Amino acid sequence: MFVSSLIEGIVIGSLYALMALGSSLVYGLLRILDIANVAGLVLAAYVGQDVFSGTHSLPLALLAGIGSASTLGFLLQRLLYRSLLGRSPIVPLIASVGVFIAFEELFRLIFGPYELNFPASVGLPSFHLGGNLVTGVELLIVLVGCTVLVATWAFIRFTRVGLTWRAVAQDRETSAAMGIRTSLVMGVVFVIGYGLAAVAGVLLAINYNSITPTMGDIPAYKVLAIIVLGGLGSPLGTIAASMLIGLSETFVAAYWGFVLPRDSIAFILLIVVLLLRPQGLIPGEPVRA
Amino acid sequence: MRTKRVRAGAVVAVAAALVGCTAAVAIAAPTVHRASQISIGFFAPESGFAAADGQSAYDAAKLAVNQINAAGGVHGQMLKLVNYDDGSDVKQAVSIATKLVTQDHVTAVVSGSYSDQTLAAAPIFQRYQTPMLAAYAVNPGIPAAGSYIFQQDYAGNVEGAAGAYTLVKMLHATKIGVVSIDNDFGHALVAGFKAEVAKLGASIVETDFNQFGEKTFTPVLQRDMGKGANGYYMVQYAAEAQQYMTDWNQLGLKKPLVGTEGVDSTLQFVKPVGKAADGLIFTTPFNRDGANAVGKKFISTFAKAYGHLPDMVGATTYDSFLELKTALLKGTSAEAIQASIAATRDFNGAAGTTLRYTSGRSAVKPVDLEIFRNGQVHHYAYIRNLSIITP
Repeated sequence: MFVSSLIEGIVIGSLYALMALGSSLVYGLLRILDIANVAGLVLAAYVGQDVFSGTHSLPLALLAGIGSASTLGFLLQRLLYRSLLGRSPIVPLIASVGVFIAFEELFRLIFGPYELNFPASVGLPSFHLGGNLVTGVELLIVLVGCTVLVATWAFIRFTRVGLTWRAVAQDRETSAAMGIRTSLVMGVVFVIGYGLAAVAGVLLAINYNSITPTMGDIPAYKVLAIIVLGGLGSPLGTIAASMLIGLSETFVAAYWGFVLPRDSIAFILLIVVLLLRPQGLIPGEPVRA
Repeated sequence: MRTKRVRAGAVVAVAAALVGCTAAVAIAAPTVHRASQISIGFFAPESGFAAADGQSAYDAAKLAVNQINAAGGVHGQMLKLVNYDDGSDVKQAVSIATKLVTQDHVTAVVSGSYSDQTLAAAPIFQRYQTPMLAAYAVNPGIPAAGSYIFQQDYAGNVEGAAGAYTLVKMLHATKIGVVSIDNDFGHALVAGFKAEVAKLGASIVETDFNQFGEKTFTPVLQRDMGKGANGYYMVQYAAEAQQYMTDWNQLGLKKPLVGTEGVDSTLQFVKPVGKAADGLIFTTPFNRDGANAVGKKFISTFAKAYGHLPDMVGATTYDSFLELKTALLKGTSAEAIQASIAATRDFNGAAGTTLRYTSGRSAVKPVDLEIFRNGQVHHYAYIRNLSIITP
């Protein structure tokens, strides 16, 4: 049971990390908790499923999902968030919640209330590890998760563009004064952030073979917990928090059953960690006011 | 002097105008001896996480009303469906109930909603003495709200007991793992299940209640396996049951597994899960194979109208309207409707035969068992033991 719980926890943690990383990047840059990022996750699942139904090509489905979610992210930052930047942080948060709720109903109206399935074969073999079956999809989630997370971290840490992002995150006005096109940086971060959510959305839909208009409910508030628990504005912290939550949920279920609502575990951990370490697991870089 | 006369004249003129207007209104307003329509209230979760079930129920409600009206209505009076979406929200259900009785002045109500919402709305209908039929909400607390509230589907504890009988007596399980959705529906079924398991001398290794949206059942299934479970009881709705079956198959479990009417959804479970559910037996009132004339007509007209086969939610909603029509034919007052439903005997509906209602207004009807074979749902058996099916 320990090995299977460990594997299950790593898979779930990888999914959480992919879900939360986009929002973490956005927060790191703009100090906006963007719940609407999860609307991008759900949109990508629907678009990906639609494209897969017509083409039976998973790469095309993924690209379509990423394209649709990234477009949504770009439009939201352009039409909504930019005008809210100077306001109190609660204002864009409430706006993003409103956008998310509106999109939930939009998905129901466009795609219908019924669950859709995404029975895609990912081309990877299932195998037994420690007596437990690991499916091809679960393997793909872990591989994609690791690749994306490492690539994102390396991009931010070692590239010139990443340096630009960090500069804008630290001080937007000074960055603009230094010649950095902050509006372009914002647009790119949203495009990439929503693209990451899209990858999570498509993998989530394939793994559970299920897409519903309300599939973003739980990720929406869990992403909040992950970002805060990991350390606001810290992608590494987001990854650490995702793994911690994924493993905790799985081990609690394995040894004590559903003694607690699964989703409450993330918030219990959040409270405990913040009491002991208010800055989160791996704090982000300090921001000049 | 002249001013006084003018004033007096004005007063008389105004008074005459007022009297005249009143008379005109009295003459103009028709004396209504009989309404031209009979308003029937209906609410279901047409948005939110349960939208699929709500839509199915609403579709069945519309079909029933259309068919009743096409056949001449109730003594020439057409039924008017007053529909509201409760959004799977208890607070919304309460608002809707209040509106139906205080503003829409409906003659009767059918609940096409889940137990939580129906449980919250029932006391309001009782307070306003408006008869209500709960189509598929199974919590025993619903008819307990009062004399005007009826439960058209068998109660949750009955269904749970039937599930226990199936697992223990028919499938010979002795140690059972239970995983149930954490709501009124789940708790009602598990309570009935546990009581019957105890009577039959079997035992339960663990009982777990999960939230809506749970996607990972492997840990609890493995834990139950480790504790020696040789039978499993799954009380889930379609979305959660789908994930349960995925994990069940991944673990390669080959033990008896009994589910409930929560999985009886053509679009949400039968079609997507298909052969992965082979071997699953579930309790439901809706026997597709052995459908009587009413059932056959319902299945064919529903499929024609909506492009897919109906499910339990639709069948029980449809039956609720047919029962209501039967009652309305005997009288449209609340007391007449209440008395007629209470006196129901051997009502043949799409979802089986309602033998009668208990004094507590719960339906007594045989429990149908359906089984998945080759990805399709087929009739398996009936449980007719009165000791089990009588709430």
